[in-house]
Order: sequence, then C-alpha cells, then structure tokens
Amino acid sequence: MSRTAFLVLVTFCFALAAPLAAAAYFRWVRAARPAVGVFGTGDVFVMMGFVVVLPFAYLALPGWGLPTVLGLVFAGGLSVGYERVVTHRWLRRGLILGLLGADLAAWAAWRAGAAPLWFTAVNSVVVLLIAVSAANLSAQGGLRLRHAAWFTLGLAVYDLTFATAIPITQKLAAAIQGYPFAPSAGLRVGDLGAVIGMGDLLAYALFGVTAYKAYGRTGLRVALVVVAAFGALAPALSPLVIEAVSGHRPSLIPAQVFFGPGAFLGYLLLRRLGPERRMAEILGNPVNRPADRRARWLGPPAPAVAPAASVAPARPAEVRGPVRLS
Amino acid sequence: MFTTAVRQMRVAFSTVLGRPFSVPVVQGLVRDALATLEEFGTPGDDVGQLVDGPYADPTMRRELQTRALQRTARHLTTGAPYYRDRFAAAGVDPAGLTPETLLRLPVMTRAELVSRQRDLLCGRPYLSTRSTGSTGAPVEVWLSRQEITLWPALIALSLVLRGELTPDDHVQLSISSRATAAIQEDVELCGLVGAGCSVVGLVPPDEALDRLCESATVLNTYPSYLGLLVTAARRRGLGPDDFALHTVNAGGEVLSAALVAAAEATFGARINDAYGATEVLPVGGRFCTHRHLHPDPNMGYAETIDLETGAPAEPGRLGTLVVTPYHPYRECMPVLRYDTRDLVRAPAADEPPCELAATPGMSHILGKARDLLTTASGPVTPRDVVEVMDALPGVRWPVRFAAEEAGGRVRVTVPDDHTGGLSTGEIAGRFADHGIDAQVVVVPMGQEDARRLRPLRCDLLEQTFTRPVPTLVREFV
Ligand SMILES: [Zn+2]
Repeated sequence: MSRTAFLVLVTFCFALAAPLAAAAYFRWVRAARPAVGVFGTGDVFVMMGFVVVLPFAYLALPGWGLPTVLGLVFAGGLSVGYERVVTHRWLRRGLILGLLGADLAAWAAWRAGAAPLWFTAVNSVVVLLIAVSAANLSAQGGLRLRHAAWFTLGLAVYDLTFATAIPITQKLAAAIQGYPFAPSAGLRVGDLGAVIGMGDLLAYALFGVTAYKAYGRTGLRVALVVVAAFGALAPALSPLVIEAVSGHRPSLIPAQVFFGPGAFLGYLLLRRLGPERRMAEILGNPVNRPADRRARWLGPPAPAVAPAASVAPARPAEVRGPVRLS
Repeated sequence: MFTTAVRQMRVAFSTVLGRPFSVPVVQGLVRDALATLEEFGTPGDDVGQLVDGPYADPTMRRELQTRALQRTARHLTTGAPYYRDRFAAAGVDPAGLTPETLLRLPVMTRAELVSRQRDLLCGRPYLSTRSTGSTGAPVEVWLSRQEITLWPALIALSLVLRGELTPDDHVQLSISSRATAAIQEDVELCGLVGAGCSVVGLVPPDEALDRLCESATVLNTYPSYLGLLVTAARRRGLGPDDFALHTVNAGGEVLSAALVAAAEATFGARINDAYGATEVLPVGGRFCTHRHLHPDPNMGYAETIDLETGAPAEPGRLGTLVVTPYHPYRECMPVLRYDTRDLVRAPAADEPPCELAATPGMSHILGKARDLLTTASGPVTPRDVVEVMDALPGVRWPVRFAAEEAGGRVRVTVPDDHTGGLSTGEIAGRFADHGIDAQVVVVPMGQEDARRLRPLRCDLLEQTFTRPVPTLVREFV
C-alpha cells in the first residue's frame, strides 16, 4: 500500500468518524446544562483564545509536564462529557481510568519495542471520545452552526498564520509525537503513518453536530460531504499537488486552511433552508423566536392611507397669526 | 456560557458577602436568561437555587442573616449619626449584631420616618418616591441611582427565570403616579426584558378597560381599582375572551378571595396578591398556595412583633410586620426595624408545610394594625370584615363600609347601595357564619359620603380628556 493511499484512507476514516459519532451522541444523549447560560459568540472567542494560547503553554512545559497536563485534561474532559452516558459515578471513573491506563500501557509497550499500532489506536479512541463530547457539550449548550462556521474560519486563519509565518504548528507536532496522551489521532503500521490533530477532529465534530442540530439529516449529509472533501481529501492530497508543481513536498499541511472556507461555504448553503433549529425544538419545549415577537400585542398594522393633499399640520392656537389687541 | 458563569459568580459574591452589586452584571444576567429561554425554551434544572437565593437554605440562613444584619448596621452607623445614637442608646454593638440583639433596638415608626427624613440619609439621593398616603401623611423615601437601577434588574431576572414575564408581554400599570419607585422599576424592568409597558395611571375605569382589551397581558394595580375594573367590565358584558391578560398583580390593600374569584372569572387571568411597601423597599414578599406571606429572605430581615408585648409574636398570635432591608440592596435612606403596622399572624406551631416552607412565612396581610377591632369574642382584623363584605352576593366592588367596635361587638355601617340587596339581618348572618358577632347598620348616603366611609387607593382617580369626568370627581372640577 502506498504512503498516500494509507494517509488518505486513515484521515478519511477519522475525519468522518468524528461528525458521525457526534451526531449519534446528539441524537441519543442529552448533555447536562446550567440553569442559565447559552454557548454563544463570547464562548467562541474564549475557545479561540485557548486555541491560540495552548500551544505556547504546551511548548513552555518541561518534558514530563506536557503528558501530565494532557492526562489530567483528558480525564476531566471524559468525566464531564460522559456524565450522562455512564451515569454511575464510580463505574464512569473506573472506565476512564482504565482507558487512560491502557493508553499509558500501550505507550510504554511501544517504547519497550512493541508495534506502535496499539498505542496509536488506543490514543485515537481517547481523542475521538473527547472531541465528540466537547462538540456536543457546545452544540447542546446552544452553539449554532453559524458560530461553528465562523470558528472554523478563524481556525483557518490561525492555522495559516502559525504554519507559515510563525512555525509553531510544526514544533508542536514534533513535541507531541512520542508522548502518551498525545492530542492527535491516527495510525502507525510499520513505516506507514497518518496523523490528524485533535483540534481538527474537534472542528469536524463541531461542524457536523451543529449542522445536524440546525438542519437535521440534510445538515449532517452536507457536513459529511464538506468534511470528506475539505477535511480529509484536500489536506491529504495537496502535498502531492504541491510536489508536482514545485518539486518540493511539504512536511505538514494545516488541514483547517482547506476546511475553514469549505465549512463556511457549507454553512452558507445550509442557511438557505431557513433559520437554524434551536434546542427548544429538539427538547420539545415552547419555542420563542425573535421574529415572532414583533410586538405581537400591538395587533395587525393599520392599513396604509395616502395622505390627503389638503391636510397640513395644524399650528397651536397661540401662534396663529398676529393678534390685534386694540 | 463562560461570561454567564462569571456574572453568576459575581452576583453570588455580592449576595453572600454583601459586596456592592454591579448593575451592568445583573443586567447582563437578564440578557443571558432571555438568551437561554430563546435557545432552550426553559431555564435549566437548577434554576430553583438561582431564583430562591442562598438564604432559602435553612442550614445557611442563620449565618447569612447575622452577617447581613452586621453589614447593614455598619452601613447605617457609619452613614448616619442618627443610627449611631440609636445603637448607643440601646447599648447594642453594631459589629456584633445578631437577630437576638436586634430585638433590643426600638422599632422605627412612620412618624420618625416622616420627621427625621434628613437624618436617615446614608447616600446620595436621586429619586424620591412617596406612599399614597392612604393611611396618613404620605411618606417620602429617597433612593439612590444605584438602588433604582439595581432593583429592576434583580426583579427582571427573577421574573424571567420564573417565567412570569417574557418579551411577548405587555404590562399595563394602573397605579398612582406618586408611586414613582414602583413605576420607574416596572418601566425599567420591562425595558430589560424587552416587554411592552403602558403607564396608564388611575384613569376612569372604562378607559383603562379599553386599554386592557387592546393588548395588555399583565396588569399591575391596587385591589380597589381592580374592583372598579371588574365592576365596569361586568357592566359592559366583557369576559375572558375580550382580554389577553394572563396575570394581574394586585397589592397595597387587602385583596379578598371573593374579588380574586370574580377577577379571575372576568379577565381569565391569574390574580396574584403582591406585597411591597414603599418604606421597606426593595423587600417584597410572595404568597404561597396556603395564602401565607413569605417575605424575601435575601433582601431583608422580617419579624412578626407582638402588638402588645413588642417581643416576637408567639405562634398563632397577631403581630405587626417589622422589616430591616439589607445593605447593599438598600443604601440611600435605609430603615432599621421599620414597623409597617401591617397585621400578620405568626404561623401556628402545627401549620402544615407549604411549597415555600424553605423560607419563613407568616399569615396573609390582615390589614392595618390601627383598624384592628377588639371584640368580646376576640380580635377582628380588617381582612375578616373585608372578606365578608366583598363576598356579599350582588355587590359592586370596591365595597364601601365602616367597621368599629361597639359594646364588645363589631358595628358595620354599610351605605344602602353597597348591601348587594341584602337586609341588615342577612348581612349580620354572613358575619356570624365567619364567627363574627356584628351589628349591621344600613345608611342611605351618596357616593361621596360612601367614599369617605372607606377611602381607597382607587379614589386617587386621575382625569383625562378622553372620557367625561366621572360623577365622583366632577364636583371637584
Ligand atoms: Zn406558605
């Protein structure tokens, strides 16, 4: 099997698995939500802030610090994200510990000479689970497709900047390789390898689940096509194209540079179907759309009447003409 | 969600620690609550904790109350020498104030509030609001800009989270223009929620009804004016289908069960009894299904003080409602142990628990203490009399009468066109059914005399150019 075929196949499977699994979670699991609060534009900015700051934080950590922090983040993320899936607290904690333990054990085995397949497979499952639940907590918390589309567009700009102008993406990719709890999915079989970042998986899951929430099955279908074309095929095949054109094969292609614009186009397409569905419609609660409430209590507008030519504004009596006092 | 969490934390800090509230933060939470309803249709499951506040938790209440009282005492004694002297005279250390030592401080009377107005100021006054003066000279209370912007935001948040006011609502205010704070609050909170608001005032009832028929979904008014509206609506043959009302909030006077039933049938709306007094703003109260008054424990400290002994009323005994609004909710012209003279009964020891049992309650407001009648068979409260008179078949609300004590019995003077067509014996029989030994005297008299017999807030009727001035007011023109 050629390197490229392996890369395309693995990327394709992981990229599509994220939105599909997120949609399935959305369909069957209702995430907990606070008394007051909606995942909105402000939260998209907070998310972007994390995306921008986290790599620097990762790189600033000492060698053993990065896996420790990531392990804790994974444990917390899984614990919150699967609260409603495995409701028994101790069972949930046990499963999470088991999963993270397996990740660590597979990594240790790989370091001791075992095939890397096991570590990459277990770690991919962990990363996929986190991306799926994080996307759902956001979408079920009120994040709309519109927000997700703008977020992916922001990620595209970020990826382009940091892959070209400030080469932190390559550094980070190098830093996380070979550590347990690496924030990336993928497979390594023999000398064949394919890696897809956790941020990329999160973007696909987020776009898929918000499209499904907003426009149902149609939304999910469009999202899957967008993810397949712009999230899997384009980034996997573009090195070949670049090599053919320039004769130089780039080592790393930031996927979001393709996916961001593609997702935004997908959103513009879906938007033509009408307003996005809200959680209220999905939960069967009373729906309250801003368009409905254009002063409902004022009644229908009065029929327009053409102003009569003879009607002139009346002047108050006090100013009507000079008054002769004699 | 992130910004909401930060705002909630800041409000919780202010509630528990007594730090000054940031009004924009509370207003932001109102917007968050509206966005939550828009996305989800309902607030999340834990909303009860948020709207009831930390003081609803009986295990934390005592500690929180003590701290709130000490905080309030600090504000009062540093802000006004008058309060410093008051604490010194009673030998109470403001820093160590507890619900028990609070009892050593004398209650504050209406006369003191009227005469010492200037001495009570602890902040920069911005807006004055007056009581209607239905029970004597009007009380004027000065409010700071912070108070008059904070209260509507807090009320709006609670109303939105309880589902009692939505952006689809249109509130009609049929209250006296002198109740500046109430009007300002309602206008402001409607603006925060995005609801419509019409300040209609106490105009001739037919005009108010025309406005109600057009659009209003919520009506805020006084029970006596509600009586006028019900009577006018019935005269015009209007029924629930003619109105879009879903809620009527009526407060400031005794609202009888008979009038509630009649208003419900006429307007097809839920009639809420509302408690709030200008002097003890912003402390309000809610009524449970058992018709108890549950003063809001988060905003102030409420006591039921025995009318005779001045000590906390024993279970089942009559008392007057004494309220201390907490700092930082009340800051400009605060009151300490203000005696509202509103009659309440301390809950009986064997009182069955109600749905608001988590917050301390007392009986319904039974009228003003000065109108309490002492008869041979025990005390008769103004509410006892109003409930009987309002329920006479065929009466027009508001019912006029005068009740006084005469020879160990209650003597009720009723104008001849307020008897509902019943004889004196039949009316006395109705009182007897309620365990009241009453002598009923029916006197022929004109509307004006009947009005003087029992002055009500609806008598503050305002003139308009839209409708002919009603006969009641015509003689003054
Ligand atoms: Zn109760």
